[in-house]
Amino acid sequence: MSEGTRHRAARLLLWYPREWRARYGEEFVELLVAELEERPRSLRRSLDLARSGLTARVAAAGLGGQPLDIEGSGRRSLATLASALSIFSVVPVALWAQLTIGWQWAPPTTRATSLAMVLMSLGILAVGALCLLAIAPVAWLAVRSITTRWRHLLGPIGLVLGGLAVLVVGTHHFANGWPGTRGHPWADQGMVPGGVAAYAWASTLFVTSYWLHPTALAQFPGGEVAWMLVSPVAVAALIVGATRIVRRVDLSPRVVRFERRLGLLAAVTTTIFLTGAALWVVDGGPGPRNLFHIGSIDVVELAALALLVLVTGRAAGRVTAGNPPVAPA
Amino acid sequence: MAVTKREGRDPRPEQFSGFGRYAGPATLILSSLAEGPKHGYALTKDIERFADVRLAPGTMYEALSRLESQGLIEAVESDDRRRPYRLTAMGAEALRSHLAAQRKIADLGLQRLAGTWGAA
Repeated sequence: MSEGTRHRAARLLLWYPREWRARYGEEFVELLVAELEERPRSLRRSLDLARSGLTARVAAAGLGGQPLDIEGSGRRSLATLASALSIFSVVPVALWAQLTIGWQWAPPTTRATSLAMVLMSLGILAVGALCLLAIAPVAWLAVRSITTRWRHLLGPIGLVLGGLAVLVVGTHHFANGWPGTRGHPWADQGMVPGGVAAYAWASTLFVTSYWLHPTALAQFPGGEVAWMLVSPVAVAALIVGATRIVRRVDLSPRVVRFERRLGLLAAVTTTIFLTGAALWVVDGGPGPRNLFHIGSIDVVELAALALLVLVTGRAAGRVTAGNPPVAPA
Repeated sequence: MAVTKREGRDPRPEQFSGFGRYAGPATLILSSLAEGPKHGYALTKDIERFADVRLAPGTMYEALSRLESQGLIEAVESDDRRRPYRLTAMGAEALRSHLAAQRKIADLGLQRLAGTWGAA
């Protein structure tokens, strides 16, 4: 048996989630090695591995299927819900920022885009409020249990605070550097205050198709490009930290039930946002001075958003609904 | 333990009806383990031999994981990295019941075919 085959099998195993690897990894690699030795290439096997690995990951995230750790599956769903809502603070804000900034200069000329803006703003506002409500009990419990569980909680809390600090400082700096806030008169103040629009823009500056156009990107000031590289790392730290806290802090059944209800409400409000964003994309009008132009990045964001809504609803529905073990006959 | 989903209508034991699209692999794996403990590759080869079906590794382990979580099979302690699995008493009973139900359907189907189309 060649070392190359074993390495290949070990690489394929990485497609499966950690807990699955811990339970079946060793024996699965042995089976893969034997399979690869017998049939080095097989499209059917590759597709089967891709599908079953994805199924295992979906189950591990508490989104469906049969999780290995049945008792912990509810908590995993809650952690996935936390991740989905954290991501929701980035992708939709990026979409929304584009419209809010456009409206600072001129109102949209179509009713559909105006309505889209209202729906998106309501969606953002509602999800923001729900997130704050969801964070409050978890943050309180995390702070309360830090003395007893500091080994488990210190790292995630550090990630959240570090990510948050970078985001607040950077966003504040770049929002103040936005042309709209440097004394240029606005033709129209829009339905969202300019400062809020500027903060939304600065915090999501990295969500852009400029990454695919390096020549254009090179024209950006160095500090702005550096911020576009640093801010997603800060966002990732925030999401990872928040998810780990949700996984590790002791939550009472009452708090879990509360979080589940908020999660279901969040799934509904994210749908409102999605409806607004879809309305804008379908309307398709660039608006005055091309301010409401729709780019390919917006379509990609919309697709990501639809997936996010699906994940939010699915995770919220399974927060306390772990698969019960089969009763002995 | 002939537990049926809808009495008199669905002859599949509950464990198997819960498998959905994995019912096929589950039957094959349990039938193979009925002979004695086997590890993953030995199961693949045995099933290929008696059923002319080659279970892909991902499908095989999905089914093994489900069967194990339902208590129909269990892993055998082993120093070898290729961990063998064996049938539990509950698994043996579930398989017996499932195969009996399958045989009933097969017998009925063959009987009707013979009546309408003649014996093979």
